[in-house]
Amino acid sequence: MASAIYFCDNKGKPLLSRRYKDDVPLSAIDKFSTLLLENVEQSSIIPPCISHSGIDYLFIQHNDLYVVVLATSLSINVATIFTFLHKLVAVLEEYLKTVEEESIRDNFVIIYELLDEMMDYGIPQVTETKMLKKYITQKSFKLVKAHKKKLNAARPPSSLTNSVSWRPEGIKYKKNEAFLDIVESINMLISQNGQVIRSEILGTVKVKSRLSGMPDLKLGINDRGIFTKYLEGNDIGTTSLNGDKKGKGHDLNKNESSITNDGRKSKSNIELEDLKFHQCVRLSKFENEKIISFIPPDGDFDLMSYRLTTSIKPLILCDVKVQTYSNSRVEIFCKAKAQIKKKSVATNVEILIPVPSDADTPSFKYSHGSIKWVPEKSAILWKIRSFPGGKEYSMRAELLLPSISDINDTKVKKPVQVKFQIPYFTTSGIQIRYLKINEPTLQYKSYPWVRYITQNGDDYTIRINNS
Amino acid sequence: MPPLDKKIKKFLKNSIRVAPKISDKGEFGELRAGLVSPYPQTRKDAIKKTIQQMTLGKDVSPLFPDVLKNIATIDIEQKKLVYLYVMNYAEIYPELCILAVNTFVTDSQDPNPLIRCMAIRTMSMIKVDKILEYIDTPLRRTLQDDNPYVRKTAVICVAKLFQLNKQLCVELGVLEDLANALDDDNPMVISNAIASIIEINSIDPTVIDLIRLIETHVSKFLLVLNECTEWARMTILTALAEYNSRDSLEAKDIIDRVTAHLQHVNPSVVLATVKVILKNITQLDPNQYSPDSKIMKKISSALVSLMSTPPELQYVALKNIRIILEKYPEILNKELRIFYVKFNDPMYVKLEKIEILVRLVDVSNIKQCTLLLNELKEYSMEFELEFVSRSIQAMAELGIKNGNEIFIAKIADIICNEILERGGGIETIRDDCCVALSNLLRCCDMNESMVKQICSILNSWSSPEDILTSDLSKCHYIWLMTKYPNHFTTVIEKLKTFIDNFTQEESMTQVAILLSVIKLHTRLEGSVLQNLFELATSYEAVDIDVRDMAMMYWRCFSIDDSNVEKDQLINELCNNGLNPLPRIDNILEMFSPDTLEKLLNQLGTISSIYFEPLTEDILNESRKRRSQMNQNIIKSQKLNDLQDIARNELLDGHEDVLLDFGDEDDSSSNMASSNNNNNTLKELDDLFGNITQDVKNLNISQQQSNTDSNQAPSANTTTSNTQDLLDLF
Repeated sequence: MASAIYFCDNKGKPLLSRRYKDDVPLSAIDKFSTLLLENVEQSSIIPPCISHSGIDYLFIQHNDLYVVVLATSLSINVATIFTFLHKLVAVLEEYLKTVEEESIRDNFVIIYELLDEMMDYGIPQVTETKMLKKYITQKSFKLVKAHKKKLNAARPPSSLTNSVSWRPEGIKYKKNEAFLDIVESINMLISQNGQVIRSEILGTVKVKSRLSGMPDLKLGINDRGIFTKYLEGNDIGTTSLNGDKKGKGHDLNKNESSITNDGRKSKSNIELEDLKFHQCVRLSKFENEKIISFIPPDGDFDLMSYRLTTSIKPLILCDVKVQTYSNSRVEIFCKAKAQIKKKSVATNVEILIPVPSDADTPSFKYSHGSIKWVPEKSAILWKIRSFPGGKEYSMRAELLLPSISDINDTKVKKPVQVKFQIPYFTTSGIQIRYLKINEPTLQYKSYPWVRYITQNGDDYTIRINNS
Repeated sequence: MPPLDKKIKKFLKNSIRVAPKISDKGEFGELRAGLVSPYPQTRKDAIKKTIQQMTLGKDVSPLFPDVLKNIATIDIEQKKLVYLYVMNYAEIYPELCILAVNTFVTDSQDPNPLIRCMAIRTMSMIKVDKILEYIDTPLRRTLQDDNPYVRKTAVICVAKLFQLNKQLCVELGVLEDLANALDDDNPMVISNAIASIIEINSIDPTVIDLIRLIETHVSKFLLVLNECTEWARMTILTALAEYNSRDSLEAKDIIDRVTAHLQHVNPSVVLATVKVILKNITQLDPNQYSPDSKIMKKISSALVSLMSTPPELQYVALKNIRIILEKYPEILNKELRIFYVKFNDPMYVKLEKIEILVRLVDVSNIKQCTLLLNELKEYSMEFELEFVSRSIQAMAELGIKNGNEIFIAKIADIICNEILERGGGIETIRDDCCVALSNLLRCCDMNESMVKQICSILNSWSSPEDILTSDLSKCHYIWLMTKYPNHFTTVIEKLKTFIDNFTQEESMTQVAILLSVIKLHTRLEGSVLQNLFELATSYEAVDIDVRDMAMMYWRCFSIDDSNVEKDQLINELCNNGLNPLPRIDNILEMFSPDTLEKLLNQLGTISSIYFEPLTEDILNESRKRRSQMNQNIIKSQKLNDLQDIARNELLDGHEDVLLDFGDEDDSSSNMASSNNNNNTLKELDDLFGNITQDVKNLNISQQQSNTDSNQAPSANTTTSNTQDLLDLF
């Protein structure tokens, strides 16, 4: 597999490296920065893999870094390599907070240790941060102290190589709780005339587990394909779920759905697509019996994700009109409407409207929220802290354009981007029916909590007509 | 108040510290003194600073003996650092490592499994015969260790040892131990063992029978698959993909057992699962994997889910989807919208998405086609050069794939009236439009209004030789002029300017000019043709194929007037273009069936990204390269020389591959031309066609290799596009 991993700065100069095999010459990485440069000169396309002299440079970008894997054979699984690199960055982020040139330089010792442990001879090994943290710790004195006690100092946890490789034994909490966050991100592309071109819901069930021992969890949701019979004669789940975390008494079963498809009106079961599970979920059990059962890792993790491509109407609809009078001014008129149930409220709504990069002297008229001009993004940002369902707000902006414009100015055509959050609301209508927690030996009482939230995905955009 | 508490602690710690500190300067003197200091804290500091210097790229190998003194410590972190140092310099100064051999052996018996692992891991990486002589006992011991963590490390060490010293590895008999590790109870040991065997097999396929081992362990693999880490699953799935199931029952069983993994969160596990399923699915009754079958829907859904991963993985997924689509064209037909471009996608993802979109679109569904057309139109209004260019090309591809004249006319209309109109910003837009329009015209050349519309636009360009920048687009422009001379008011003047620039043009345009002049020779003054023939056969830098072609046409035209066949021949030459063209129905690039099968077996690999199937030759080449590198390193002390050798070796290998491909094309076209001389006049006509084909084949593939040097050019993809272009003349 991988022959070496390099962390390079934004020019492609190596900062730190770990070589796993010696089938690439030491000098191979020096070529990387030239290769990057050559590719930039040729075109604007820089694919994440460059081949040169029989060596393949596979890389991802993160902040101001390139993380590069060198490989020598066409038979290398590139999907694994990229997945691993992203995982590596994620693990480092948990250790170092931010992964950038400076933090790489400052923390070389721990990074070497991690690289040693996470990959051996180019084959990915352990990437579970919770387990790594058991025996690779940042503060060295802890290790020394543990050693004084002559106890098992920094040994790999025995469960590391077990079938439950993500959870160490002997976890203890005074109060046993599990928090479920159902986060749905909406990706939507809306055409100039308000037509939805593409829409999808990307949902994630995030779990924060604070449970002792080796608990076995079963999760029930209102998906058609998922076995929910547990519900009958077992109301532990639903009753305890009713107490929402924030105490607003939001009733789970009244969770609204805005799916326009009539066949899937709320109450009835929904059908999730592309379910993806964390490795702790017993996949074969799900495949055969449709039960989501798992032993959770400790702390935060994403239990499952799903995707829905039903057509949904825009939750925040923006009607943007841009009128450009060349060489004098540009006028922007924007009408935003929260197309959600009246009792729901969209919070932290941000509407980013692109303007010509050479425009200046903005003047605004608006009824709600606040507007500012963000010259570095060539856009104006309209922020509305709280946007109740059914309301319609509007704004008007005018910016002056220079009288002489540079014709060769490379323009970028950007759409309007919208950000928002709608608490206590899921677009798909997914509901957690129950979360059954069972720890065979400790038999404690535990409390599951559930929260729902809908927010924008990374691509909630509206195209605009420039006239 | 923990923060204050911590501060006080730190302050106290610093104030009572007697051990001298090491500065950041990294001077050898200071470091060396620190490394042998009586204070443990100072020594540790010094090691850290040494490694810091090492990370910065400074050669701190002179400190080797001093660093090594610190290896016997109870502080695990310090031990790790020393090991790290040793491992790093083992590669450059292998001789020095002999000093550490004792510690390695002792550490491999340490009660702490972490240390045992570190010792064996490091030891198996040091390329010195003398150290390897000592590896026997530690390696065997760790292979049988009680702790699975140690065993999973040891099995990989066998592969490392094999790479360093094949002979020793075979002599020690650890390969048998490795094979036995496949029967371990621990899933991680099993998966590392199979990964290790795969590595060994890739170095030398003769020592261990990978296929047989996989065959005998299939049921075991399927059993542990559900119990291991994501990476172990990945390895096991890779091994399963190598296995050929015996019958449809077994294939069904394997598919059923792995299908659950389509829902794994790790994209590479998903892709590996798809590969295993596709490998076994052909064993089943075709009804069981019809486009509507459950399993195909699951695969489709899994592939779609890969579109919500980081861009690099999307890129891999898109490339692989293209391969899968060619085998199973209906698999994703309901998911077109997923591949619509997002404005913040990186360019390499955007371009790949367009590739998939035009392949995926269901041409019988006119609504879908219209939607896609609108989307492509939107893309063509963007500002990034490659993206716009690809979108325009995609429009033509879409039109030709659809084949409906009304639809094509609509596309031509959009290109003529909306895309060309916007002008500004993008220089090459006319090139792309010209190529797209002429491609579209080829599809319905009998549609008078379209011919008129397109030609009148192109006719209005005052100096096409300057407006158009690419060889391909000029070639297309000249073809259009020649084909519809009546629609171009100034065809003669335009052609003349092209002739004036003849020597500056690239070969494809030169051929086009030549053929155009021949066809229109009745409209031109007699000397034009003659002059062009002279020019094309005399000037120095002329492409050999262009010259040969000019030469032969010249001979045709210089046949004695008394020969009755002459007029007929020339007539045929000139009228060829007026006959209906062979209809084109697709200008998308396709793989040859053989390549496709190979690529399907290599999903997820680098091969699948470059569309360059892994052949036995390539494998042997890399094996040879590897073994040479290693053997040399072990025996020689002068490593730098060796690196040079290795580097040259790499370079050579790479060039060979490229050259092979070029030669083939060259020779075929040369052969064609030499044969031609002997043939009778009547056959000449047909053969000219062949030459043109070859010339173009060569040119287009060359062009591709130039524009995208990463993508090993389409030696293996049948470019239907290219094929079709040939019919132009």
